[in-house]
Amino acid sequence: MVAVIGVTVAAILVASVAAGVWWTLQSETVSAASTRKQEVQTAAELLAVSSESLMAGDNLSPVRRMITEAARRHQLDRIRISLPDGQVVADGDPTKITLINLPATWQGGQVVQASTTQDQDGVSVTMPIDVTGRGPAKLELFGTIQRPTWLASAAQAGLAAIGAGGLIALWLVYRSTRSRLRALGAIRESLLAIEKGEESDSALSLSPNFGHEAQAWNRLLNDRSELRRKAAMERSKEALVGTGGADLRGACDAISQGMILVDDTLVVQYANGAAATFLQAKRDLIVGGTITRFIRDENLVACINEAAVSGSRKRSTLEIEYATDEGTGVLRYHVRPVRREDRASAMILIEDITQQRVADESRNQFVAQATHELRTPLTNIRLYVETALEEGEKDPALREKSLNVINQESRRLERIVDDMLKVSEIEAGSLKLNHDDVRLDQVLADLLVDYEAQAKEKSIVMGFNLAPKLPVIQADRDKVQLAMHNLLGNALKYTPAGGRIAVNVDVADGKVVFEVRDTGIGISKDDQVHLFEKFFRAKDRRVESIVGTGLGLSIAREMARLHGGDITVESELDKGSTFTLTLPTNVEAA
Amino acid sequence: MQIHEQKHGAVTVLTPEGPLIQDDADAFRQRAMTLYAKSLGRFVVDVSKIPFMDSRGLETFLDLSDHIGQSGNVLKLASVNKTIREVLSLTELDHAFEQFEDVNTAVRSFL
Repeated sequence: MVAVIGVTVAAILVASVAAGVWWTLQSETVSAASTRKQEVQTAAELLAVSSESLMAGDNLSPVRRMITEAARRHQLDRIRISLPDGQVVADGDPTKITLINLPATWQGGQVVQASTTQDQDGVSVTMPIDVTGRGPAKLELFGTIQRPTWLASAAQAGLAAIGAGGLIALWLVYRSTRSRLRALGAIRESLLAIEKGEESDSALSLSPNFGHEAQAWNRLLNDRSELRRKAAMERSKEALVGTGGADLRGACDAISQGMILVDDTLVVQYANGAAATFLQAKRDLIVGGTITRFIRDENLVACINEAAVSGSRKRSTLEIEYATDEGTGVLRYHVRPVRREDRASAMILIEDITQQRVADESRNQFVAQATHELRTPLTNIRLYVETALEEGEKDPALREKSLNVINQESRRLERIVDDMLKVSEIEAGSLKLNHDDVRLDQVLADLLVDYEAQAKEKSIVMGFNLAPKLPVIQADRDKVQLAMHNLLGNALKYTPAGGRIAVNVDVADGKVVFEVRDTGIGISKDDQVHLFEKFFRAKDRRVESIVGTGLGLSIAREMARLHGGDITVESELDKGSTFTLTLPTNVEAA
Repeated sequence: MQIHEQKHGAVTVLTPEGPLIQDDADAFRQRAMTLYAKSLGRFVVDVSKIPFMDSRGLETFLDLSDHIGQSGNVLKLASVNKTIREVLSLTELDHAFEQFEDVNTAVRSFL
């Protein structure tokens, strides 16, 4: 490319110089011929006039000297005066004179006309001479046109000098501009690539070795990339935040998962409403701030750094516990790198899995506890069945005892399974209330009948203090009875012999309050916190000695809550407990 | 008006008891807003003990719904009684809330 340009420039230069020289030579040649013609003509006219008078006086010597002198002075190749019969009177070359003296007269012969001719060789002039009283003669001159040889030489020398100088100058310019021309060529190639659709900066940038032009080109590419990056960021921000992206913004705010977009400097570019809730900060403060102000966990920050700053493609998911005034919780963070042409960024998705975690733990605990609770009666049944089989025939008393234990354990197993089925129904949400008119006085009367004998057997004083008029409530009779049975049954179970149990039932503010107060072993403050959890048994030796599944209170409370009521407890260790079941009188829930 | 709180696992059930009217509505709104922020959105309103409500009470529910909606969540109402259901239906606002038959079902919706 560069060579083509150089040769073209050189050819144009040399051609221009050659044309100039040719034109100069042509002009000089024409000018010399014209001058020579004028010179020869003038000399011929002068000689003709002078010769006429001198020849008329037969004075030939001066004529011949004049001719000789003219031939020398004007560098004439031929100069001659001749008579019509061809006799030469005078000549530039004296040896060619054929007539020494003029005759007195001579014949005229053909009339000679004055003429001047010019050709490539020279200028030829013929002039008539009228020798008075004698006859006509003619003067002939021929002078070679002398071309200016010095001019040709000078032109050749000049042309050679100009050519050489031009080539040297061209070589110097070529050498000095070689890298520049290469850079320009490379830039041209890049421009053609852009025209064909090439977008990658790495493919379009040039080596800095190409010089300033290449460096300037690379700066242009960088500026273009920066502008495109800013434009992309603006578009991104506009899409997410600006009025143009109102729909997208609304869509993101409709997601219950938190969504945060951070750039490669960890500055938050976007946060949806859920993210603001999870980070417990106003969205205006989050957007534009550094994410580390709102997320402190080192591992999570490291993951965000890796995705947004380091440009890693690794995706991370972390579950992080948090604590608020309302208790603890678990947030799951998904960190996803966002690949963009201009720069890296990361998307952080946040979801609250606290309830799932609680449910999982509860389920695991339930399975573990259920397994444990089922194993004990099953083991007892197996052992006593083996005893009865092996020793029963020999020892009828042992067989009877074994069968009694098997019977008790079977009933225990039945209770556990019943309770577990109820818990399972509650967990699955399939437990439904069958509303009916429930006469509380009847329910309480049945309750008294059920437990009166047991209380008497344990020497416990049990009293029912009922409101004068108990209402008929809309509720599920079996489930209300179940809740009351569990509370009263527990009171009898955990109240030592000689104790007292008071059942107080009152109606106030549209609520039925069923209170069971005992003078039993009581419950410690620590145990009260977990009292309504499934399979929970208080860590008290006296409790461990009493059979129970730890499901009763949990079920009772669920029954109450299904009716829109609740169960609360007040207790003091070694002094007794008070369980209060409240039920709305006009239950419509569930 | 009394406002009760019950924890069901990680979900808090807010149970206002009494008519949702006048200043009581404002008190309930304040309590619910605070609870929503603290519980990160895991809460349910048990409306079974609201016998009736006035325009201010209705406005309170709408404000709560809008506030919660900005976080991509929806106000969950449990045990909606007949009166409240009719109020919401007549004002064509029943679609603004997620309604559940009972508290347990509402709580399970967080799973």
